[in-house]
Amino acid sequence: MFAATYQEFCLQGQYFNQQRHRSLAELLEHVPGAAQLPFLVSGAVRGYLQQLGGWVPGIVDNLGQSCLRFSQFEFELLASDVLDQAQHRLAISFYSEPLVWHDTVGPYLLVSDPAAAGPAGAFTTRLFQLQPYLAIHSLQVLP
Amino acid sequence: MERKYFLKSLLAGVASAPALLAACSKEDTVTPTTSTTTTGTGTTSGSCTVAPTETEGPFPTHSPSSYVRADITDGKAGYKLTATLTVTNSNNGCAALAGVLVDIWHCDTEGNYSEYGGSGMQSVNYTAVHFLRGRQTTDAKGQVVFTSIFPGWYTGRATHIHVHVYTASGTSLKITQIAFPEGTGTALAAVNGYAKGLTGYTTNKNDNVFSDDTAGVELATVTGSTSAGFQLAFTLAVPA
Repeated sequence: MFAATYQEFCLQGQYFNQQRHRSLAELLEHVPGAAQLPFLVSGAVRGYLQQLGGWVPGIVDNLGQSCLRFSQFEFELLASDVLDQAQHRLAISFYSEPLVWHDTVGPYLLVSDPAAAGPAGAFTTRLFQLQPYLAIHSLQVLP
Repeated sequence: MERKYFLKSLLAGVASAPALLAACSKEDTVTPTTSTTTTGTGTTSGSCTVAPTETEGPFPTHSPSSYVRADITDGKAGYKLTATLTVTNSNNGCAALAGVLVDIWHCDTEGNYSEYGGSGMQSVNYTAVHFLRGRQTTDAKGQVVFTSIFPGWYTGRATHIHVHVYTASGTSLKITQIAFPEGTGTALAAVNGYAKGLTGYTTNKNDNVFSDDTAGVELATVTGSTSAGFQLAFTLAVPA
């Protein structure tokens, strides 16, 4: 994915780089419209995201199973350089679908998928732990 | 620590710094090539070749750019448009140019491009984020065929499709735009600007991109109907 996005940066960057700038920072500073370059480069990762099958990678529950579904992501191109791939930096944030938080059990959050309520008021729940690079980005208080 | 040993270790530290800096600016992973192409409107320069292969990471299959596809519709509504682009080589008697990359992109029926970002935190659904953008490699006849929708329009511009042609290794050969014929009986008149009509439409003659194209080099041939779909044909010569 690193190589694919760098190649895409080199390809699409040429549209904005008529003045032979080297770095992404230079392009963003001097070329109007270059701000859409991160979006254009993100086209190189979409095929990889589809391989994930809708699950946030690397986050598993207490049973070792993937536990966070996603359809929303954010791609950030932090730095790059047309002559030096070592300068290439990117970040991908996955936004999970909403979860209902029921309780906190020890270090674990007890959550359920609101779209998958069981019969007669039962919930299929999962236990998972907050960990580095995982955050709660939105909160809604249920009535 | 005695002073002389301290100085020795300090010197060793200093000596190692250039080695680190050299590693940071290592350029042997990418071989830059530079070409300059003179076009009607200015100078275009490119400076990249394909990046080296790296470890695949957690993903089982190498995935080509999501732009590589024939159908770029991504579920967008609109009258079907089949666009056949032919690339020829102006440095080789206008012979068909095979094996070059052709990117196209255009707006939807309302005049909006698939774009996001540039304004801080913003997430987006990954399944349809790059609608109406595609990339293909020309065949032996120099052709690529895209399935899309007839583009809409937005204030200040005539209806158009963007085109960017690259060599197989990714060096930019040409950035241009495709214009649409106007007037009675044309596809543009049949589509009539979709829901918003053509009030306030910028014609090719008044368009800041197409107004100087008096010879019609950027003008495509468009046939068909709203019911059966439209066929667009466009040939562009690039110096390769």
